[in-house]
Order: sequence, then C-alpha cells, then structure tokens
Amino acid sequence: MKEIIIDVSDDGEVKIETRGFTGKSCIQESQFLKDLLGKEISQQLTPAYYSTNQKEKVKKHLPLCG
Amino acid sequence: MSHIAKITLEINNLEILKLACERLGLEFMENQQTYKWYGTWIGDTPLPEGISIHDLGKCDHAIRVPGAQYEIGIVKRDRKYILLWDFWNQGGLELKLGKNAGRLKQAYTIERVRKEARLKGHRICEQKTDKGIRLVLRV
Repeated sequence: MKEIIIDVSDDGEVKIETRGFTGKSCIQESQFLKDLLGKEISQQLTPAYYSTNQKEKVKKHLPLCG
Repeated sequence: MSHIAKITLEINNLEILKLACERLGLEFMENQQTYKWYGTWIGDTPLPEGISIHDLGKCDHAIRVPGAQYEIGIVKRDRKYILLWDFWNQGGLELKLGKNAGRLKQAYTIERVRKEARLKGHRICEQKTDKGIRLVLRV
C-alpha cells in the first residue's frame, strides 16, 4: 500500500514521509503536497528510493491438460 | 519507506486560513486594516522578509483570538500571506497559539492537505500524536 504520512507538530513544523513507493515515484507523487504547503528545506532518501521497480517475473504454467 | 522531507510552510490560500481559524475557534476579520499589538517596535526580533517597521500594525485582514488581548495581522505580499503578531506574554497570543503561532500553522496545514486529498480522491485519516497531528494519505 502506498502512503504519504504528514506529521504536523504543535509548533507548525511539517514533515512528509512516503511509504510503499519504489524508486523516484515517491518524489513525484508527493510533490503536490510540497507545492501546496511551501518550500522543501531538507530531504532524506531512504533505501527503498534506490530500489528499482523491476521485480522478477514469474512465469506461471497452467495445467491445461490433465 | 522511500523519503522524508521537511517543509517550511507558506500561507497562500485565504479560504484555507479561514477554515484553520474555524477549526481553532478564532474569528477571521475580513478586511480589518489594523490589528492590536504593543504599538511600538522594540527591535527584539527580526522582522519577516518584506516587512518594514512602518508596516507593523497595518494589515489586509486580521484574526481575533478569544481570550487574547492582541490580534494577528494578515498581510498580502505577492501571492502569499504573512502573519504579523506581537508575542508579548500579556498580549495572550503565544499562550493560545503556541510559539510562532504554531497551532495556527498546524491547523492551516491540516485543512490544506484535507482539501487537496478530497479533490484528488485520496483517503485521509487524522491521528493525534505526542508532538502534534499525523495525517495518513492513501494514494
């Protein structure tokens, strides 16, 4: 599941965290929030960012005969 | 988890600011041209960018905070709005809204994200945390 978590502290600080995205899509899909709210002052990439979306393809053979 | 970003808030939507006021029980005073403050700048803090000493006390709209003697001034600069207020203790604003009017900024952020989530059809849920409020957006 893809989630964007926005933590807004009582002193008004905003932190946005993306979960469940792979590769650069997290940056693109959360960009609208940054545009809405103001300026990004820091960004920390996490390991999932560096993973590509090419999952190993699994061939499935359906037992059609017998 | 993919990335974490920190944002400095810019207020650019007056309708959302009105919703934030409603959320906190504050009174939005449309077109009120002055706001209550100490009245003299004593130079103890830097002025916001684009604001001079002569701008203090004047505003385009204002916010009344129940129980506080002073008010918040809203000043339009280009496409954004600057909040001006005097945080002197006796004025009562910091007591009601926290340091740097953090609770007002928090309410604005929440209302802004909620509106956009509705427009985009994303599910959103709001949770109270130790440090503030967490919004979870399912995309």
